[in-house]
Amino acid sequence: MPHYPEGTVRALLQTELVTPATRAALEARLNAPADYTPQFFDADTYQLLRAVAARIFPQPDRETPIELAPAVDKRLTDGTADGWRYDAMPPDREAYRLGLGGINQAAEAQFQQPFMALSAEQQDVVIGQLAAGKAAGENWQQVPQDRLFEEMLAELTENYYAHPLAQEEIGYVGMADVPGWPHVTPNTLEPREPEPISN
Amino acid sequence: MPDEEVLEEGLLNPVQPEIQDPLLKSILADNATPATEPTGEEAPNPLPDPTDEVDCVVIGTGAGGAPLLARLAMAGLKVVALEAGPRRDPTKDYATDEKAQNFLFWNDERLSAGQNPVAFGKNNSGTGVGGSTLHYTAYTPRAHRGDLQLHTDFGQGVDWPFGIEELEPYYEEIEHFLGVSGPTPYPWDAGRRKGYPLAPLPLNGAALLMQKACAQLGIQTSPAANAALSARYYQEGIGWREACTNRGFCQAGCNRGAKASMDVTFLPLAESFGAEIRADAYVTEIERDASGRVVAVVYEQHGRTVRQRCRHLFLCAGAVETPRLLMLNELALNSGQVGKHFMAHPGMQVWGTFEDDIRPYKGIPGGLISEDTHRPKDADFAGGYLLQSIGVMPVTFATQMVRQRKLWGQPLRDYMRTYNHTAGINILGDCLPHAANFMELSDEKDARGLPKPRLHFTAQENEQRMNRHAEKLMRQIWEAAGAKDIWAFERYAHVIGTARMGLSGDDAVVNPDGKAFDVPNLYICDNSVFPSALSVNPALTIMALSLRTADKFLANLR
Ligand SMILES: Cc1cc2nc3c(=O)[nH]c(=O)nc-3n(C[C@H](O)[C@H](O)[C@H](O)COP(=O)(O)OP(=O)(O)OC[C@H]3O[C@@H](n4cnc5c(N)ncnc54)[C@H](O)[C@@H]3O)c2cc1C
Ligand code: SF4
Repeated sequence: MPHYPEGTVRALLQTELVTPATRAALEARLNAPADYTPQFFDADTYQLLRAVAARIFPQPDRETPIELAPAVDKRLTDGTADGWRYDAMPPDREAYRLGLGGINQAAEAQFQQPFMALSAEQQDVVIGQLAAGKAAGENWQQVPQDRLFEEMLAELTENYYAHPLAQEEIGYVGMADVPGWPHVTPNTLEPREPEPISN
Repeated sequence: MPDEEVLEEGLLNPVQPEIQDPLLKSILADNATPATEPTGEEAPNPLPDPTDEVDCVVIGTGAGGAPLLARLAMAGLKVVALEAGPRRDPTKDYATDEKAQNFLFWNDERLSAGQNPVAFGKNNSGTGVGGSTLHYTAYTPRAHRGDLQLHTDFGQGVDWPFGIEELEPYYEEIEHFLGVSGPTPYPWDAGRRKGYPLAPLPLNGAALLMQKACAQLGIQTSPAANAALSARYYQEGIGWREACTNRGFCQAGCNRGAKASMDVTFLPLAESFGAEIRADAYVTEIERDASGRVVAVVYEQHGRTVRQRCRHLFLCAGAVETPRLLMLNELALNSGQVGKHFMAHPGMQVWGTFEDDIRPYKGIPGGLISEDTHRPKDADFAGGYLLQSIGVMPVTFATQMVRQRKLWGQPLRDYMRTYNHTAGINILGDCLPHAANFMELSDEKDARGLPKPRLHFTAQENEQRMNRHAEKLMRQIWEAAGAKDIWAFERYAHVIGTARMGLSGDDAVVNPDGKAFDVPNLYICDNSVFPSALSVNPALTIMALSLRTADKFLANLR
């Protein structure tokens, strides 16, 4: 799998190729403090969300993984939405509480232990069941698991790929757009665009 | 169609948009309002004098509200626009970052029901001074004659109460005022009087791949018409606007003013003629007198409740908030059509992975178009669609992709590493009105204590057939282009038709002039008045209707 030179985005952020508004948005994510105290979730539920996020976005390649749970907790604390919700779903706060509880129920049903106590492989089995709409647990009578999984997956994905390091991982340097992109045809890179390196 | 009227790139100066209506022309001539400087103010507006009555209040400053605001102000009327969203400075506030630009979307929660629940927010509705045009992709194809007479041609859907010739002069005026970049002659509309004012924008990776594959398959393509400037352009009320730099970020907000959103086009024009725009003004109530005339609107601004008296009201809040305001205020409900016949364009996308390094973030997202599918010969459905190449930003792409493919774990990260090698095509297709698709007020309340809207949408037989036809064709195109890992994303976008226009108050909310049947001084102009969805992107037609509505209103003023 090709990858992109480390430090590309950090270096770009220091240049005039990036507007102040863009730099501020990306640096806020890049320099987010490591310790985050949840405001909405209680401590255990928050750790459970982190554990689920860690299986949906496993990051063995990173010393410090990109944290995906803080943005979810912040959003639920603020009570903001993205403009819509499946009518079949309860309100977001309830959906997350019921959904995370349901994940624990599924873990108990399959492995007789809460999700946090499982091995990574076992956790993946539970998430696989959820993704397939086959997770056990009474909470799923109140929240449709296919929708819950889709919503949670979409939110975590949004938070992951909004992070500058994840953008570097996929070779996205669109943030460095001050001079524009005179070369838009395939296989014509601007000098500031990283060439993929093959392993 | 050689066109002597196409002016040299970048030098076109639509100093005075051509006025269609003879009466308006004479009003304008009598009413030489001196142009004032745009205020561009950021501070909250002073409270209006409670006894002050303005000629017109316009609710919403998007594609429906902005053009008519300018027209009314130019006629010398005292006009005030109330806009729920903020006023921002694109050059300072618009980061090239998808999440940081979330404030541009109407993010109040809507409940999505039915078999194909429609995504709102990012997918659909903007807010702020400029409305949804702040983040539209600025594709501006014109509707075709047949789009307005679906019932005549197919015995399905409904006809518009007038023909395309009513819109054509406005299309022309708007294309030239905004500075649309596009091909002249336009391959699917040979009869056009005037060409596009600017040459097309450069084709990016997805557009070139689609162009080549379509040529192989015998499908005609052309660079799309896009309301982003391929060269500097002079705009009345603003001065020079800079050319597009292929930044590819139009679906959030353009920080150069190259994209013709309302905040850099019709709104400054309106302000230069004395219109007042009040941002952060969320309208909750529409007051009437005993005779049923609207007398005032009430809005919330910076934590206070303000009442503004008016002689006429123009409701242009978009196809969800317009019917919602009508329902909340029990206004114009006699026809029983408010909220009914909600339509959403089929917007099926097909993505593929290519050997080429494409970089989907570069270039105008909507580069190439084909309208060969406007009325496909082998169609088993009414209406038609158009094909467009698409560019995409990573966060939007990733979230759509996971919603469709449900990838997670390592396969998700692996797939996203091919981002630079992906290219997409999508359709924009007609949608028939259907009784099962509608909007209602739910029991759930929003932060203001107002009922949230619930929208029911199920793609009916016709939409499903169209989708199948389109998916097959787009897959063929991408196969011919050499794509691997092709996948389709079925989506529906644009909110249309919840307060429709028609000849009779029995089955329509507004008459062909946009005037409410039930309320003597209420006009509606936005996506909600469309009787049918049209097989083209809506914004240009909404703007054309907006100018037409203003001209009809001014003609009736006497
Ligand atoms: C990502 C995206 C891409 C798009 N691309 C294209 C494209 O390429 N081509 C195209 O033709 N169309 C496109 N569209 C659609 C197009 O932008 C809309 O169809 C069009 O702008 C709708 O115009 P409108 O006037 O009906 O509503 P809007 O432009 O949404 O304006 C309504 C305004 O009313 C305000 N408002 C609502 N309620 C209230 C209230 N109670 N009080 C005060 N103000 C209120 C809102 O804040 C908003 O500013 C796109 C849309 C999106 C989301
Ligand atoms: S591609 Fe052009 S129009 Fe779109 S955001 Fe960039 S500069 Fe603006």
